[in-house]
Amino acid sequence: MAKYIAKRLVYMVMMVIVLSFVMYLIYNLIPNNRAYTDARAEIQTLKQGLTEEEKETRFDEIYLEYQRRYGTDTNNMLVRYLRWIGLYPKYDGSFDGLLQGNFGYSYEARDEVINVIKAPMFNTILINIFGTVFALGIAIPLGIVCAVKRGSKTDQVVQVITIVGYSLPVFLFCILFIWVFCSILGIFPPSGMKTPGSDYTGWKYVADTMYYLALPLITMTFCSLGGMTRYTRASMIEALSMDCIKTARAKGLREKVVIYSHAFRNALIPIVTLVVGWFLSIFSGSLIIESLFGLHGMGKLMIQSLRTADFDVVILMQLFYVAISLLGNLIIDIIYGLVDPRIRVSK
Amino acid sequence: MSKQNKKKTSFGWLKRLFWGEGKASAQDDVLNVEEIISPGKQIVKNFFERKLAVFALCVVLGMFLFVFIGPLFMPKYYDAYTEVTQKNVPPTLDMMSVPSELKDDIKMIDSYGTFSVGLSNAGKVYVWGASKIGTTGLDVANIPEEVQNAKIAMVAAGIDHIIAIGEDGKVYGWGNARLGQYGGPAAGEENNPNIAYMPEEVMNCKVDVTNIKKLVCGYQVSAILMNDNTLYLWGNKNAYANIDKFIGNNTLTDIEFTLNYVVGVPSGGKSVYTGTRGLFGQIRPNINGEAVDIMTYLNGRSITNIIANNNNICLMLDDNSVCFAGDFKLDSVPMATLAADEYFVQIEAGTDFYTGLTNKGNVYSWGGHLLGQSDVPKKMEGVSQIYAGSFQNYAVDENGKLVDKWGLKGYIFGTDSYGADIFQRIVNGGKMTMTIGAVAVIISAVIGIIVGCLSGYFGGKVDMVLMRVMEGFSAIPFLPFALILSAVMAQMTLSENMRIFIIMCILGVLSWTGLARLVRGQVLAVRESEYVTAAQAMGIKAWKIAFKHILPNVISVILVNLTLSFATCMLTESTLSYLGFGVNYPRPTWGNMLYGANNATIIKNFWWQWLFTSMFLAATTICINIVGDTLRDVMDPKSSVDK
Repeated sequence: MAKYIAKRLVYMVMMVIVLSFVMYLIYNLIPNNRAYTDARAEIQTLKQGLTEEEKETRFDEIYLEYQRRYGTDTNNMLVRYLRWIGLYPKYDGSFDGLLQGNFGYSYEARDEVINVIKAPMFNTILINIFGTVFALGIAIPLGIVCAVKRGSKTDQVVQVITIVGYSLPVFLFCILFIWVFCSILGIFPPSGMKTPGSDYTGWKYVADTMYYLALPLITMTFCSLGGMTRYTRASMIEALSMDCIKTARAKGLREKVVIYSHAFRNALIPIVTLVVGWFLSIFSGSLIIESLFGLHGMGKLMIQSLRTADFDVVILMQLFYVAISLLGNLIIDIIYGLVDPRIRVSK
Repeated sequence: MSKQNKKKTSFGWLKRLFWGEGKASAQDDVLNVEEIISPGKQIVKNFFERKLAVFALCVVLGMFLFVFIGPLFMPKYYDAYTEVTQKNVPPTLDMMSVPSELKDDIKMIDSYGTFSVGLSNAGKVYVWGASKIGTTGLDVANIPEEVQNAKIAMVAAGIDHIIAIGEDGKVYGWGNARLGQYGGPAAGEENNPNIAYMPEEVMNCKVDVTNIKKLVCGYQVSAILMNDNTLYLWGNKNAYANIDKFIGNNTLTDIEFTLNYVVGVPSGGKSVYTGTRGLFGQIRPNINGEAVDIMTYLNGRSITNIIANNNNICLMLDDNSVCFAGDFKLDSVPMATLAADEYFVQIEAGTDFYTGLTNKGNVYSWGGHLLGQSDVPKKMEGVSQIYAGSFQNYAVDENGKLVDKWGLKGYIFGTDSYGADIFQRIVNGGKMTMTIGAVAVIISAVIGIIVGCLSGYFGGKVDMVLMRVMEGFSAIPFLPFALILSAVMAQMTLSENMRIFIIMCILGVLSWTGLARLVRGQVLAVRESEYVTAAQAMGIKAWKIAFKHILPNVISVILVNLTLSFATCMLTESTLSYLGFGVNYPRPTWGNMLYGANNATIIKNFWWQWLFTSMFLAATTICINIVGDTLRDVMDPKSSVDK
């Protein structure tokens, strides 16, 4: 097992490297020369009195200096990539890349990217943990009930609702919920994370935050219900049609035991994939829900950075997502082995 | 065919259409052996037994026909069509419905924007059309008490206000007053340089009604011109750049408003006065004619009347001829050529067209035609007066009875914030959304099938490499990555068509992994079957076995997957466009039509701008998913057992 995990980890690292290289190339497709912009800005602030010619030579010097500082004084993409990672020395011989803890600089926030990401990350995790717990808490029991009472009226109603649920884009639900809950009923505030200008502490702060987060949470839960319920139902139906269930029933076991002890355990494998997947997505945040409800989270930061072409932030976030998703795959594979003894990871 | 078998279910015709007469209508004979049905037929049969699925299929097909064939039967459509006076109109078809009490007793009708105001000979004011004004909550159809009680002599409508003059000379105004459309300054606003307030004389002293030559309203401005050429002009100065040149100018014999300029005729009628050099200085005899300098063209004749629509003006000269100045849209309908002894006695202007009445009682419309504003009815008799405004025309006989009306009835789904008809944009946007979805699915299918087949059939190293590539792709978070790619594209200079094509490719290239995995699994299962072994034994090439013998056996699974991912691709495109990273305005898609609906104010006040589009998008994707799900159910022999 340990060998398997080690192998997977090595493979994962390789994957991250390949993908980060691809992303770095894409990112460099943008006609965006940071050294040039900065050099231009600096030459503007230089004292007057220089002739145009002097300015030009001075500019060339400053430009080269900036290029060396940013490590872009070569057209070799591989070298530039390795410098960005921190595996190849810059002009002055120093290593200054991701591995050395230099995650880039956000030109919009005028701060290190790592500082820019901290607060949104916290908010996103907070929101998503609640959202995921609610969604799983409703979807799994609902899916089981539907599978057990397959074909009944309840099942049919739930089927129709869930098909609507997963056929609609998330932003439509946001619009709909804002319309119903904010415009018509006026129960919840349409956007924001706290009462503007308020400075609550303690329980009052928690209550205020929950009041503002209620609608995004409801939306988030509702959006994820459709797919999850159907998924649970499908795997439960599969499990219920197995021979061992017939045997269990023939033995005279109580229906509850049959369903929860025998069938559910067999239906667990696909569900585990789902659960792990959802827990991993708590880091990425929902792009749409966050930007529509004005929540200061990862999704909103991503869209903001894309709009303002702040690509240092974007590429780091993207890299983080890739790493998380690869890690997720590994965790799912390992958990498979734990829940289902029949699945043994290949040696 | 025996009689008792003629029983028809509601979808019987569809059943017969797809697989002939079938068992149901075959000879009913006890001795008949039960017919053997091929799996394909069985699947179709099972599918059509499910009413919901058949309904969904009909909706999907209907939607396809609607967006691909529908535009052929609709008026010409332009992506970039905008109309500033028709912004944010709620769904209505009443823009031309003259109230029945007014129909036989019309004194005058005027309109500028989305509503019309009419006056009866009895002096009563009526308002119809889309009378709610934007997000202000005002409704010009709420005619003030004092206006209802007074006998009104004249009315005129602006974009968001109405001015009425009573028989006693009192001037009334209602609607939006925030930019000085009527009334005096609000407290603290006295010195607002952007507003010309209603002149004292108009506010307090009573205007001599019998001496009024003209009352005219423009975009948030109004003017009263007296017989002695005294001009009262007030309203929003920002809307009209040259308004200052007109305030206090008492030498004009006629005045009109285009969308951005005030236009007047100085006494004598030898030129057009705009206060801006060169504006409307070129005259043409018809709207598609050659432009000539105004002095040369007039050649001693003088202007008697001026009529302005939003972009251009029409001049009536003292020799009964008509000429034009200003810009005309390329596809404008030119003015009809009149007979030698026929001339226009009255010309009225709408937003982008003119309607004229000749001395022989014939009516002609020319100029813009996209909303039916210049489709003059064939038979009209006894017309003695015409009224035109916005996009509506009314022909009235000498007794004030409405003869006929033509023009824009309204918008079934309202208009967007650019003034374009949402219904038309839905039809044309659906085409784009579905095309993008379809192409993306085709791309993902081609990649997915090839990779899946190769990987599943050859196994070993090929499988290993392809599976790693597949994992790499599926590790990329879909939406963020698509966003990055389109943001990168936005920084590059690409034509819109190229951008759209790349978006299709992005969607396709990022979504093939699921299908490839599915195909691989299916191929792995089929690979061990006897007929493949037989084929191998016959020495058929490996790739031929994979694609010609194995692929047809897994095609049903692929089809189901494609149906479902078609819906997914449509959703992703909508989401991208909604976020502003997909197809851009002015080209419509169901996603970017919802782009504006991102705050509570618009969601609440302009509900029609997102509701209808969402309904079309939702109906299509839901139905596609239902069809896909049902297909999967009926194809799976296990699941159909205990249905």
